[in-house]
Amino acid sequence: MKQSGTLLDLVDVEIGIPYPRRDTLVIVRKANFSVNYGEMVGVVGESGSGKTMVCRAIIGTLKRRGAEVIGGQISFEEQDLSKISESTWESLRGKVIGYVPQSALAGPNPVLTIEKQLAEALENTDGKGSIKSRSKELLDLVKIRRIDTVLRQYPYQLSGGMRQRVMIACALATNPKLLIADEPTTGLDVTVQSQIMDLLKEIRKNLGTAIILISHDLALVDDVCDKVVVMHAGATVEVGDTGSMAKPKHPYTIALNSSRIDIAKPGGELITIAGNPPSVGEWMAGCRFALRCTYKEPDCTVGEHPPLFGERGGHQTACLHADKI
Amino acid sequence: MTNELLMEARNVSVTFGSGATTVKAVQNCSLILHTSEPIGIVGESGSGKSTLARVLAGLQAPIAGEVLFRGKSVFKGNKPYQDGIRNQVQMVFQDPYGSLNPQLTGLSAVAEAVSVHKKVGKQESIAIALKLLQRMGIGKLDALKKPRQLSGGQRQRVSVARALSASPSVLLADEPTSSIDQSAQAQLLKLFLGLISDGLSIVLISHDLGVIRYLTKRVYVMKDGVFVESGETEKLFNDPQEEYTKLLLASIPGELGKAARQKLGR
Amino acid sequence: MSNEKRRKKRKDRGEGAFGIYAGFGMLAAMLLAGLLIPIVSKYDPSGLGPDQVVPPSSKYFFGTDMLGRDVFTRVFDAVFVDLGTALVGVLIPLSVGTVVGTLLGISRNRRVNSFVGSVIDGINAFPFLIFVIALVAFLGAGLGSIIIALSLVNWARYARIARTRAVVVNQQGYVEAARTLGYSPTRILFRHIIPNVSSETRAYALSDFIIVIIAVAALSFLGLGVSPPQAEWGSMIKDGANIITLAWWTAIFPGLALCWAGIAVALIAEGSSRRLREGG
Repeated sequence: MKQSGTLLDLVDVEIGIPYPRRDTLVIVRKANFSVNYGEMVGVVGESGSGKTMVCRAIIGTLKRRGAEVIGGQISFEEQDLSKISESTWESLRGKVIGYVPQSALAGPNPVLTIEKQLAEALENTDGKGSIKSRSKELLDLVKIRRIDTVLRQYPYQLSGGMRQRVMIACALATNPKLLIADEPTTGLDVTVQSQIMDLLKEIRKNLGTAIILISHDLALVDDVCDKVVVMHAGATVEVGDTGSMAKPKHPYTIALNSSRIDIAKPGGELITIAGNPPSVGEWMAGCRFALRCTYKEPDCTVGEHPPLFGERGGHQTACLHADKI
Repeated sequence: MTNELLMEARNVSVTFGSGATTVKAVQNCSLILHTSEPIGIVGESGSGKSTLARVLAGLQAPIAGEVLFRGKSVFKGNKPYQDGIRNQVQMVFQDPYGSLNPQLTGLSAVAEAVSVHKKVGKQESIAIALKLLQRMGIGKLDALKKPRQLSGGQRQRVSVARALSASPSVLLADEPTSSIDQSAQAQLLKLFLGLISDGLSIVLISHDLGVIRYLTKRVYVMKDGVFVESGETEKLFNDPQEEYTKLLLASIPGELGKAARQKLGR
Repeated sequence: MSNEKRRKKRKDRGEGAFGIYAGFGMLAAMLLAGLLIPIVSKYDPSGLGPDQVVPPSSKYFFGTDMLGRDVFTRVFDAVFVDLGTALVGVLIPLSVGTVVGTLLGISRNRRVNSFVGSVIDGINAFPFLIFVIALVAFLGAGLGSIIIALSLVNWARYARIARTRAVVVNQQGYVEAARTLGYSPTRILFRHIIPNVSSETRAYALSDFIIVIIAVAALSFLGLGVSPPQAEWGSMIKDGANIITLAWWTAIFPGLALCWAGIAVALIAEGSSRRLREGG
């Protein structure tokens, strides 16, 4: 039964790292977006934009990095994820909310065979058939051939792409409602990337799993997702479905778009964004993109960071002067 | 700019290991590079493209075939680029994190290269290095930082500056954009474009045809050690012959891939 | 000071700063005392004195020993002997081991690699202190023998670390880049490979220093070190151990001096490794 409506809703989420005798270091301020059941949402931003921290907040692993949600709400079904206890997290994390890590960094446990990893993921879940047959089903779901061989192998014997498929299989073992894929194809060849994206699309279609895809690649997200969330220096600056994002309404998104090589002419103009995004702890007043923005106005550098204008669910932008673009 | 034949690889083969564990990384590959005609070598991991690049750079001796630079053989015995031509062919490596000596600031690394190649004193090499880094978009403050304090894109640009200190005619770029952000990628590619228009011949190695299309005029498609197809980049995009090439085209992220998939009916 | 400024100051000073400063402070204090006190003191550290086995008082801060010598003066007279010997006993193996290990790590000559490698593994197989004691006993007591023995045994430990590290460094991109740039092998070895190998061996040297300080004292305790009447912590402890129930001060104060030195170096080692980890 495919549910519909809002599954996850982030409202003005703020994440910070508290220090004992000094001010809390804010790393995300004003993250806003929602994910519907069965929707694929792409969260795009440069390194340091806060996109990974937001994903950690949704999966509840902020604490081990010394961070915590210091403002806003994260509504997931009936609960506010920013306020639940660790024991409640245990019933959600890895069960209702799944996680696939960045391919280059983490991966399957190197000392366990694939069969053991899947068995571990399938622990305490109900379903038809033995653990082994369900493991095989999962590997089939992620389009791995030679299932019997792979079950017996160790992660080091598999290619990067296959390891990622195994991670996806483990994450899907509990049939989660939401799957967070954190830069799952970084460092993998484009051919493998394309296959994994196709896989995610199929999972979304056949299982109705909502997917959050975190990436730095706007072209990829544009291709694969239903909705795009753009983050810059800890804030959400634009949200919209892929169709309306073809005409972006925030200068940062426009700049990102003009630096895409898939739509640039060969050997032609590539407009790149000068400078670097402000690092955490060095945020200025007002809009944090203002200093690199070509549409800057005097009121862009004062006061609070602009909120997201526009209707929730529609095309929103955090630019005070979106109409002039 | 005259179109002279700059580099040539003739029937190059590279084999690793022996007996049961022999790997034929490169099998009988031939390519040519003219001035003002940037070329690309595209293939997935394991295709042998990096090994071939290293042969062109002189870091790996082939077991068969030869590499010619301006008509003269590059390898004399097993020693590459003798007789003062070592500086002519330089390389930028894939991993921005391992390519720079962690103990040297960007400025020191580039200044060292300058002093070795231009044979000038310390003061002058620092001045030249600063200018080079500036051209790569690395300001004075960043030039004094150590690699761990720089972003991936910045590290790549320092590596390019260091390679350019040798005043090469050829720059081999092995997956320069693979480990960095989209925006940093765009900056690096734009930089390469500028260098091409200044007369540098670039050989771009990548698994992403989108990047190849942006920068190169001709491309070689490599799979399992062999060239399966080659030709003008534009033509390859519009009229791919081989199945493998079509697969690569269909995998490009974004609009290019979408268009390719439509055309190929996938 | 505002929180912003405080945070930036900590960031500038770097991680592990406390340990490093504290350790160096302690060492500096000890070295200064070791320099000044023997000069300034009215007591001769090697001469016999009238008041034998006197407990600590305002006249003799640390009391006197069996021969009437002022323990306070002796403890500080021993500073340069103990620390100096230990320092040389670390620096020689550090330099020799790093160079040999590095050359071994980057060499492609199988026979040399195998031979020297076996020598290194062979030496490392012996328990450190026992091997050193045996060598010193063979060479004859004295600080010179201690240094020679330490060097002969310890270089292999550094060489092993250096070799493993050199193999890794040799494969790094920046070394390949140096080759592509046409740098001479000497330049590559001394400017690129050795600095990145020695960062590991130097870190090991810091903790090794503590062990060597204690080893030097231990050898003297066993009678294999300095000859009397030179003051040295180990031999002072040995003399004091005989009468420890009657005159605790004769053994305890030199022991405390050893601890002080050990803690100082340990703090520096801990602070440095923390700084290395945090990348500060």
